[in-house]
Amino acid sequence: MKYLLIPLLAILAGCSTTVPVANKFPEVPKRLLETCPSLTVVKDDVKLSELTNAITANYQTYHGCANTVDGWIEWYNKQKSIFDKASKN
Amino acid sequence: MWIIQHLPEWVFHFIFAAGVIGTIAGFVLSMVPVIKKYGIPIKVISLLVLALGVYLEGALSDNKEWVLRVKEMEAKIAEAQAESAKENVKIVEKIVYKDRVIKEQGVIVKQYIDREVVKYDTKFLPGGECEIPKEVINALNASAKNQAIPEVKVEAKK
Repeated sequence: MKYLLIPLLAILAGCSTTVPVANKFPEVPKRLLETCPSLTVVKDDVKLSELTNAITANYQTYHGCANTVDGWIEWYNKQKSIFDKASKN
Repeated sequence: MWIIQHLPEWVFHFIFAAGVIGTIAGFVLSMVPVIKKYGIPIKVISLLVLALGVYLEGALSDNKEWVLRVKEMEAKIAEAQAESAKENVKIVEKIVYKDRVIKEQGVIVKQYIDREVVKYDTKFLPGGECEIPKEVINALNASAKNQAIPEVKVEAKK
């Protein structure tokens, strides 16, 4: 009976259903890997213009970071659709 | 299947052909009186070789199909990688453009502040007519650093 296992195993070896091709993880643009900078803080004796400038700089930082996040969302959606299309058999 | 990778294709065709010829020969030769006594062993061996041949032919054909599928998949992946790289370029271009717009708008606002808001600096200086309350500075800095404001005690809800 145990000798029957050998031909059975040989037969089973032909039963794989997945194509042995690995898909590489897509590259991420370096710009998206930049971390968000810290926000600007002000001194206690700040002038009104300096305060406004600091607030503006912080808003600008926010917009920059939002741009990065939007980029990540777009990157994910695009890469997912490309991956799904390539994975279809 | 490992055997397909190690043996040339003609070996499988040969086994199959040998099986077919042997089976036919087994039936034909069993009619010849001298060889008749070997008829059954010839038939049995030939049928076993034929069965192995059929199996190996099937495996060979299946393997060829898989090789085709692998090639097809590799082509698809190469295409996807090219498309992915193209999309990355588009995304980076879009981000860089938006970054430039943000920077330019920031410069415009800064110029405006340095031209218009600066006029009110003396009015809002510490000890001036409309001094900026320390609480405003505290609130802004605490928000910027994402920290709690030390002076304000938040009472827990009962």
